Amino acid sequence: MLRKRIIFALIYSDGYFTQSRNFRLQRVGDLKWLEKNYQFQKIASSLDELIVIDASKGQKSITSFASMISDLVNDVFIPICAGGGIRSMQDAELLFKSGADKIIVNQILLQNPGLVRELISNYGSQSVVASIDYKQVNGINEVYIDNGSSKIPQRLEEYIRYVELLDIGEIYLNSIDKDGTGFGYDFDTINEIARHISKPLIIAGGAGNENHLIGGLAIKEVSAVATANLFNFIGDGLPNARKKIIDTGVNIANWSPVNS
Amino acid sequence: MATQIRSGNRFRNMRIVIVDYGMGNIKSISSTLQYLEIKDVLFSADYEVLRSADKIILPGVGSFAKAMKRIRDANLDIILEELSVKGTIPLLGICLGMQLLGLSSPEDGFNTGLGFVDGIVTKFDSSACKIPHVGFNQVKPNLSSRLYISLPVFPDFYFTHSYKMNSDTNIHQSMCEYDQEFVASFEKDNIAGVQFHPELSQGNGLQLLKNFIELF
Amino acid sequence: MSTKIFWCKNCLNMSTRPRISFDDRGWCNACQWMEEKKTFDWSSRERELKELLQKYKSKTGNFDCIVPVSGGKDGSYVAYMLKYKFGMNPLAVTVRPALSLEIGDKNLHNFIHSGFDHIHLSPNSKALDRLNKYGFIEKGFPYYGWLIAIMTAVIKTAVNFKIPLLFYGEDGEIEYGGSTESKNKALYGINYMKRIYLEGGHQKVFDRISQDSDITEADLSFFKFPSDDEVSEIGLSFTHWSYFEAWDSYRNYVIAKEHCGLIEKEEGNTDTFTNFAQNDQALYALHAYLMYLKFGFGRATQDAGIEIRRGSMTRDQALNLVRMYDNAYPAELIDTYLTYYKMTKEEFDSVLDKYANKDLFEKRDGIWQPKFVPGIDFEI
Repeated sequence: MLRKRIIFALIYSDGYFTQSRNFRLQRVGDLKWLEKNYQFQKIASSLDELIVIDASKGQKSITSFASMISDLVNDVFIPICAGGGIRSMQDAELLFKSGADKIIVNQILLQNPGLVRELISNYGSQSVVASIDYKQVNGINEVYIDNGSSKIPQRLEEYIRYVELLDIGEIYLNSIDKDGTGFGYDFDTINEIARHISKPLIIAGGAGNENHLIGGLAIKEVSAVATANLFNFIGDGLPNARKKIIDTGVNIANWSPVNS
Repeated sequence: MATQIRSGNRFRNMRIVIVDYGMGNIKSISSTLQYLEIKDVLFSADYEVLRSADKIILPGVGSFAKAMKRIRDANLDIILEELSVKGTIPLLGICLGMQLLGLSSPEDGFNTGLGFVDGIVTKFDSSACKIPHVGFNQVKPNLSSRLYISLPVFPDFYFTHSYKMNSDTNIHQSMCEYDQEFVASFEKDNIAGVQFHPELSQGNGLQLLKNFIELF
Repeated sequence: MSTKIFWCKNCLNMSTRPRISFDDRGWCNACQWMEEKKTFDWSSRERELKELLQKYKSKTGNFDCIVPVSGGKDGSYVAYMLKYKFGMNPLAVTVRPALSLEIGDKNLHNFIHSGFDHIHLSPNSKALDRLNKYGFIEKGFPYYGWLIAIMTAVIKTAVNFKIPLLFYGEDGEIEYGGSTESKNKALYGINYMKRIYLEGGHQKVFDRISQDSDITEADLSFFKFPSDDEVSEIGLSFTHWSYFEAWDSYRNYVIAKEHCGLIEKEEGNTDTFTNFAQNDQALYALHAYLMYLKFGFGRATQDAGIEIRRGSMTRDQALNLVRMYDNAYPAELIDTYLTYYKMTKEEFDSVLDKYANKDLFEKRDGIWQPKFVPGIDFEI
């Protein structure tokens, strides 16, 4: 039986991992801090996947980012999805070479669909995740690109349909309104649109504790729940959350930790 | 409960060659082998290097058509047949690598595979389930299998694919279910294939790779 | 006879917190109040608010209410609601703190320019600095002078402009754990304020400063409460916004961010995991540190309590953060403090020594270190 997944999203910016709140970033710590306080080698068995997004403002350095990915993936035996600022085949190739198993793309879905098709043709649709950020404006879900700063003309449902036709592998759907608030996922929107989405769906934005994760996993059409909340899950937060989630009978894989 | 997974002593000096034909997540596989303390890991498409291997791994990410073209262009079809079909060097195909060992696939136009096993690749039915099949799913190990020794009875592995293999022959297949049953892994003498990614499957994957290294 | 030290079973409020109380589940009064808030009849309080505002709304275009603000989320929220949701004409007032931070100044600027009438009060800085210093030494309150001024100077302004209604944000005692005596009262008077917020000892500091020849009565005028007569002449009433609407400081942050231009501290803090609160003055970190030395809990515990009570974080999750952040000696600011107070490191340290609770802390390599682990009950 296909399991549902718990995904941790790391929001990276100029050398630091950050806590994002409605897309405003608070610098938290660098890779050393992350290793000390998260000990990915140990907590990786409480996760099913890692997503690492480069949200650096201004000019992104894909080589610095790729180098960090390379360090991050040692001793972690779960899929890593990396992206943020991918603008060429070379960018993608560098990330794959550095240890990414999948790439995540956002802006190019709209602004360079040819590149998206080429990436899919080269690496397979299962290797490309589409990231969609949205927020509610006057009661309507509008899509934003460029770290949440520019609204595009297409509305959420229309845009999702367009992205699905590009034949990407999965959709990472992120609520800007809920991001970092710990208010829980945007269940109103998710419950309304999830059953119309034909690709595996990862929901993100607003999870603060395991109850939110459980709520997300309970929705039939949701394939995976993601959280980027660095603070809330620090220390033994993730292992504890996973244990509690398994105890409630949710369909996720049950791992024993790999001894490092 | 933590699982101690390292290679047995006499396996650490093995040479493992990962076939390098430009497609495949080499870094993940090599860092997993490194964790298992295998130091002699090479990536190559060269005949002499492959011939010197104790074990060969055929990775694969991307399109079947493209992969077969590259493999044929590099004569790897002939090389691998000599070394692992006529010869006895254990060969493990991972994900697309496993599909390439089969007879054919319709991905990007109908193409024949290496034909080392009697398995046919087809696409999942998009009207019945979401494509790709992505995430952890449970595998029902074949009772005659060597790959799943010391693993839980219904272990989870990471799958990410839109095409899958089925076979009418006995290739010691272990099945997985997504809409319908498909071949999650097969074992035929010294050749094995896994549709899932052991290098992305936590402790289960490590144990499976260890089994391949020690029991094939 | 030993005393048990323990933590609230729901949030991480410590039993050492002044005026805190616990029910038989071990939940502190802040958490009990959080539960009550969920089923509380806020509509009746909203009616009360509307009646109150109706009564005080100016018919002449004069300011009808006064809101102390710092540029931070809470004051901004209250001012925003009064003006843009309820159509009042608030006058926002800021008492300039010593050692104001750049981000605080920026936030105040953004707030004012988002559309508010504002007065920036600068009480006599010599007196402010002296009161801060004596407050630090005599009571362990590093910005004591400012704490006094945000009451006295604001009230003086209200009296001066004949504004009869003064809105504070939240009643900290009720929201965060303390005396609940004002829970069911909308309006209250100066004496309550003097007692609870200045924790007595107000006189002690004034006695000391009266002996300083370089500080005159005139210098202290912004630090004196107006007479009871002056106050009653304009019919001045004081209230808390948290009486009329369920207080939610994260909600305040979201509104302030969206409507009043609030920005956060990008590089975060060393003593807590939030970056969007208490960004106006450098002395706050010292205030929080002294609270830690006196009672055993710091800024991270306070922030954790807020997160737990609003449901975004569980107690177990918060415990990790408290253990990580609470013990935060403000090393990077020590020089700033020494220069400000005109004290030597020895003098400064001896003040910290005075207030460190020796049952909870022991000194190691010049820094007070906890003898306890947050969350693990112990006895002293």
